[in-house]
Amino acid sequence: MHSLQVEDRARRREVPPLPPWRRARRVLLIAAFICLVPIAVSWVRMLRQPRNVSWSIATVEWARSHGANPLVSQVENWYYELNAPSKGGPPLKSLPRVGVTTASAQPRVHIYRPPRVKPLIHPALPGEGVWHPASAVAGRRPPVLLTTFRSDPEYPQFVAGVAWIDTGRTHLAYVPGLAEPPELENRGPAEVPPSKRDRIAATFNGGFPLETSNAGLVYHGEVLAPMVDGIATLVEYQDGRIDIRPWENGEHVNPKIVFAKQNLPPIIDEGKLNPNLNDGPEWGATVNNAIRVWRSGLGVDKRGNLIYAAANYQTVESLAKVLRRAGAVRAMELDINEDWTSFITYRHPGAKEPSNLLPEMFRPDTRYLEPDERDFFAVYVKGSK
Amino acid sequence: MTPGARARRALIVDVAAAALIAALVLSLTAGLGVVAFFALPLLLLGLLWIAVERLVVWLRRRRRRDG
Repeated sequence: MHSLQVEDRARRREVPPLPPWRRARRVLLIAAFICLVPIAVSWVRMLRQPRNVSWSIATVEWARSHGANPLVSQVENWYYELNAPSKGGPPLKSLPRVGVTTASAQPRVHIYRPPRVKPLIHPALPGEGVWHPASAVAGRRPPVLLTTFRSDPEYPQFVAGVAWIDTGRTHLAYVPGLAEPPELENRGPAEVPPSKRDRIAATFNGGFPLETSNAGLVYHGEVLAPMVDGIATLVEYQDGRIDIRPWENGEHVNPKIVFAKQNLPPIIDEGKLNPNLNDGPEWGATVNNAIRVWRSGLGVDKRGNLIYAAANYQTVESLAKVLRRAGAVRAMELDINEDWTSFITYRHPGAKEPSNLLPEMFRPDTRYLEPDERDFFAVYVKGSK
Repeated sequence: MTPGARARRALIVDVAAAALIAALVLSLTAGLGVVAFFALPLLLLGLLWIAVERLVVWLRRRRRRDG
């Protein structure tokens, strides 16, 4: 009886059928809603995992790892193009202070120190290109030295931070992160282990995530991603030797390798800049090579010591020039963007008084003292426990 | 067939079509990130469109009633 009354009322109202365009709109909106259900489940699951980045960064990374890397990169490119820095501007009056100023006497025995980085812009600022020990208790042969210099005469406000790492006094360790590399059973603590903090000298960011780099990774003899010929590779051997070279061994991996981390083609090889630094596609499915963003790179000097460089507003080419000026004869680009670029030194044993290489570095200087998403490198001082 | 029954049948057909489209999209695209990139703005814009439409209708009715 009641339903008859309702139908009768509806008939009287004579509701017209929806026009086709409204039905099409309804179909699309319902389809979008259905699509968003598995998306929401996956996204919430990701948010509930342990992480030390904001939910917005985690969301961008989630999108990248779920097939949207080209789209995210395109949006990033547009953003950085719109916010590109302008040339010139007022000159800087001082550089950020890095490292520790020591008043110790000159060592009696000759100890190698890298030469001062020759300033690009004249007159030079006080301390420009001058190396300072990173630690207050470094002794006569500091394992890590730091300096800054203005990296580009056309942009006199850009300051590059550079670190020199004495490979004779240090041991470099590859530390897997919470989420990177993705396929790893025993990933460890994803931070500087508390038991090793009395020897920690520095920590710095790794390369691109494996999913976006299309590059290889070997860790403790296990090939986590197949090695790719021609790609710049940071290698550590069982005898402690470190090198950066283009990979030439195909899929064969020397059993004496402790880790081998690849990232993009070399940016410097045999002292020369890669001639393709201005070609976009070779530099991976990330932001374009000419976009000015935070970039970092790692090289070796002719004595086999490591040189790390990072700065904001760098292109691949300008980063390569910074590394070459600091003495690198072979070098590779590491991770980019403010969220992922970190070089941290510790002024006192026990990882006390951590300090970012540059004060503008976005991530806190305690970044690697708690579990981090991404893989990174830890520099330990040899010979002391 | 009453207008109500016709509307219900149309809704069922539309939901089925939407489910088919969603299944196709989810299986053919490179990943959930790509789908989210388009589906979320589409849903938000669509809901905003409907909200504006309803607001205009409501304002017109009120003006007619008041005037």
